[in-house]
Amino acid sequence: MSNTESEQSMTDTAVRTDGGTETKQSLRQRVLSNPEPAAIWLAGLALLVAVELGRFVDWALTIGGGIKFILDGIVATPTWVGSNFEGTLGFVAGAVASDITSLLLLFIVAVFLRAYLPFHPDEKLGLDLSRSRHLWFERGFVTAVLAAVVSVLVFTPIGAALKNEVGFYVGILDSLADTQTLLSRETIPNHGYQTASGSWEGTFLGLSARSAWLVRFTMVWVYAAVVMSWLWRGYNVYREHYRRMDWTPRDDVIDRLRSHNWGRFGLVVVIGFIVLALFAPVIATYPIQENVYEPYSQDSEFKYFNEEAGEVQTALHGDANINSRSQGAGSQNVGINQYDDYGRYAPLGTTTSGEDLMTHIAYGAQTSLSIGLIALFLALGIAMLLSLASAYYGGIIDLMAIIGTDTIISIPIFVLVLMMSVVFQQGDVWIAEPMDGGLLLALIFAFAYMPGMWRSIRGPSLQVAEEEWVDAAKSYGQTPLAIMRKHMAPYVMSYLIIYGSLLVGGMIIVTSALSFLGYGVSEPTPEWGRLIASGRNAVSTQSWHVSTVSGAMIAIVVTGFNALGDGIRDAIDPQAEANAGGSGGGA
Amino acid sequence: MSQNLVESGAEVSSDRRREREKLVEIRNLKTYYGESGLFGGRPVKAVDGVSFDIFNGETLGLVGESGCGKTTLGRTLLQLEDATGGEVRYDGTDITELSGDELYQWRRNAQMVFQDPDSSLNDRMTVGEIVREPLDVYEWGTPQECREHVKELLDIVGLRPEHYYRYPHQFSGGQRQRIGIARTLALEPDFMVLDEPVSALDVSVQAEIINLLEDLQEEFGLTYLFIAHDLSVVQHICDRVAVMYLGNIMEIGPTDELFNNPANPYTHSLLSAIPKPDPTATADRITLHGTPPNPRYPPNGCPFNTRCPARIRPPEYEQLDDEIWMGINTLRDVLLERQRADRSLRERIRERLGRQTRFASVDETYDDLFGHLNIPQDAASVLDEIVDYAADNDEDQALAVLTEEFGSVCEKESPEYSTVSETGRQSFCHRHSEEHARPSEVLDERY
Repeated sequence: MSNTESEQSMTDTAVRTDGGTETKQSLRQRVLSNPEPAAIWLAGLALLVAVELGRFVDWALTIGGGIKFILDGIVATPTWVGSNFEGTLGFVAGAVASDITSLLLLFIVAVFLRAYLPFHPDEKLGLDLSRSRHLWFERGFVTAVLAAVVSVLVFTPIGAALKNEVGFYVGILDSLADTQTLLSRETIPNHGYQTASGSWEGTFLGLSARSAWLVRFTMVWVYAAVVMSWLWRGYNVYREHYRRMDWTPRDDVIDRLRSHNWGRFGLVVVIGFIVLALFAPVIATYPIQENVYEPYSQDSEFKYFNEEAGEVQTALHGDANINSRSQGAGSQNVGINQYDDYGRYAPLGTTTSGEDLMTHIAYGAQTSLSIGLIALFLALGIAMLLSLASAYYGGIIDLMAIIGTDTIISIPIFVLVLMMSVVFQQGDVWIAEPMDGGLLLALIFAFAYMPGMWRSIRGPSLQVAEEEWVDAAKSYGQTPLAIMRKHMAPYVMSYLIIYGSLLVGGMIIVTSALSFLGYGVSEPTPEWGRLIASGRNAVSTQSWHVSTVSGAMIAIVVTGFNALGDGIRDAIDPQAEANAGGSGGGA
Repeated sequence: MSQNLVESGAEVSSDRRREREKLVEIRNLKTYYGESGLFGGRPVKAVDGVSFDIFNGETLGLVGESGCGKTTLGRTLLQLEDATGGEVRYDGTDITELSGDELYQWRRNAQMVFQDPDSSLNDRMTVGEIVREPLDVYEWGTPQECREHVKELLDIVGLRPEHYYRYPHQFSGGQRQRIGIARTLALEPDFMVLDEPVSALDVSVQAEIINLLEDLQEEFGLTYLFIAHDLSVVQHICDRVAVMYLGNIMEIGPTDELFNNPANPYTHSLLSAIPKPDPTATADRITLHGTPPNPRYPPNGCPFNTRCPARIRPPEYEQLDDEIWMGINTLRDVLLERQRADRSLRERIRERLGRQTRFASVDETYDDLFGHLNIPQDAASVLDEIVDYAADNDEDQALAVLTEEFGSVCEKESPEYSTVSETGRQSFCHRHSEEHARPSEVLDERY
């Protein structure tokens, strides 16, 4: 290697970007060696979280509740399978079937957990196994350990003790979630009454109900903006002080997105939509429980100043709603930025049934967002797996995937969704209960949108499967699953993000359309499409706001998601052709 | 490089070779595409029965036109393609039979350097992750050891350790190829398939990479299969060369011998295509007419017979003009094409009615090919007979007559490998048997 020296000096100049200092340390070590920027940022973050701690804990508990719902469903399967067998084949067969199902479930868990084994049990035992036997042995080992743990928990008092323990911690979290936060109805109350003298009782600093609500509303957006900019700052701190690489391809993507006006508009709208959904309890003018869900319960009583009687009286939200309906045609109306007869301020007016429209809009965003996200992640996950597997293996698997998805695609998406939601809702299955059909709708969307998604990423998957680095990985014996994950998925992922953001818009429209027709999300869960349907007779009257506001919200949010999708696409691939795969716009 | 240097180097290595044992034995290896599957028809015969040996520590060059199957052969040797038939014995085990764990264990012995450094590295991973991946697959050492080893490897291929955290597209083509080489070295293989490793690089960088590969071979005792179409590179780096045409090895032997004194007509024509730096050189080039046949329909007999400049001709037509022979070859191609083409019912009816079809009439073809030539009487009558058969859409009969009259052993029988020198050089040609003139004599006479 006599000429290595000269080669090195020559090749050096050819490196296009310079920099990149050698660091052997882990992120932890890098932070410890230069703690100041990280400490400042973390302190800021802690402060931001602290003022809203209750809300963050509440979100965590909600997510935990969702996971628990899924886990409970999974845990119930062995018993369910067992009881099915028991009905036909007798008690023993039922017990065996439920045991086998439990073991299968544990085995699936073990497949994922195996990689985290701290030691190799076969090596400890001195066994010399080939690679696949080694894998199966370890999976079996983990399954056995899990089965032992589960049996101990189920058949001994330890399980009950553990349950108590968990319950105790959840209780602590619950009480934490109930603590007052900076942005809350308790800190900035807006529901009071005006006395004869004109002063306000029970509102924030004695402001009018309108001003008090506006203060809270503004605070939410200020808080959200501060959090977002702090997170952005955190990314910059990481990039400047702690990242190993001076530059990664993602930096360019972010720079391009930052200078893409249409995409920025989309990002702002989408973030706004998410904030609206997350902070719905604060943004809503009145607690949804009192105003919408249980307006006649004792908790829904409030004080107001009765001008005729000249004294402070109490009323139920339910009764007040009846007298505050916006039904147009000369009769009753509570329009935008008006008070009703009970001194309740309605920033966006009231609905046709007299409930507060702002409350409906805020919680409706929550409904749309949950449906959109659940459906999106399911559809993306399935489409990704299917496209990678069919591109990698080809042949019969590819053909089966094509036939299967073509069958689904052949039915127009709206008709398919409509049929399925009618069938499942008429069948009154348990899955139709959460969110008054919202979860069911999400699952139907995942099923109906998955084939189109798969189609859009099939091309890129086939393309990346032909790359030489995939062959290279095969040539040194990388497993198919790892090849798909490391060498194919990252290239398909960018398309998924683009199509995914376009898809959410479509899903929001289809949800609204279904609810408009009376099949989507049923009462009392707030939903934008149902608002349009209820207010459509009054559009030409003084109560125009019911349909118009909700319709405008849908239009803006869907446009926002499409704009974000465009922006991300242009940022990821500046040369991309402008064909969005027909997923935007939905029905 | 001077001619002297090349020769002496090759001599030394060919001496060395004789003492060494065989590392890879390839016997009657076949790789067909498109044979299986639901609608399998005629397969594409990318590699159609090749047999040769690769000796420990040598560099065997594999040259040929694009599409002749050399890359497929290389990929089949590494089990990136499934062999249709035959065997590949690596250290005594037939690797075409391996699967699962055995294949996984074997794979670390043999690695591949790919042609296009832009496509062979995953741009989403850092250089370190790329070079490390094979180590992770074989659970080699602790993360810390792996990182150290990767940095050593980067040093070996002439990169610097701090390149570990950079991304591939921050590097030039030559550097990317070095990264690829570092990755193949990670598992310390014995055998490497180099699939045109320098053809995508600038000429100045090519030399650096070639030198690097030679240094690595010296240092680690590697065995190379060097696939290339650049003959000067092959002449420089290879101990032996195999010449491939249409899925067959036409000639295989020591580099210097093969380049200075080619035996096979195809090798002759390949070598005569190398531009000579001497402006006064007057030697006629052997120009091959037409394109290689479709590997889905390889010709009968010798694979090269449709274009061979030294094809054996029947003695009674020995004196025919070269242009007439060209015409006859083209006529045969046309007839074969017509024979294979599906005729729709509509076209048959149009033909009956004397209308135009997409098949040009045979008379036109005949005029194009032979109209301006002066054909001896005996040949002309045979050609007329052939054209008559073809005009009646009886291509089978027309081809039978053509082969009968103008054909020879080249079309009828597949040749055998003949040993053409003391070093064991082999050539795949009928002309090495006693009754025919040697290819070189024929070519001297004809060109």
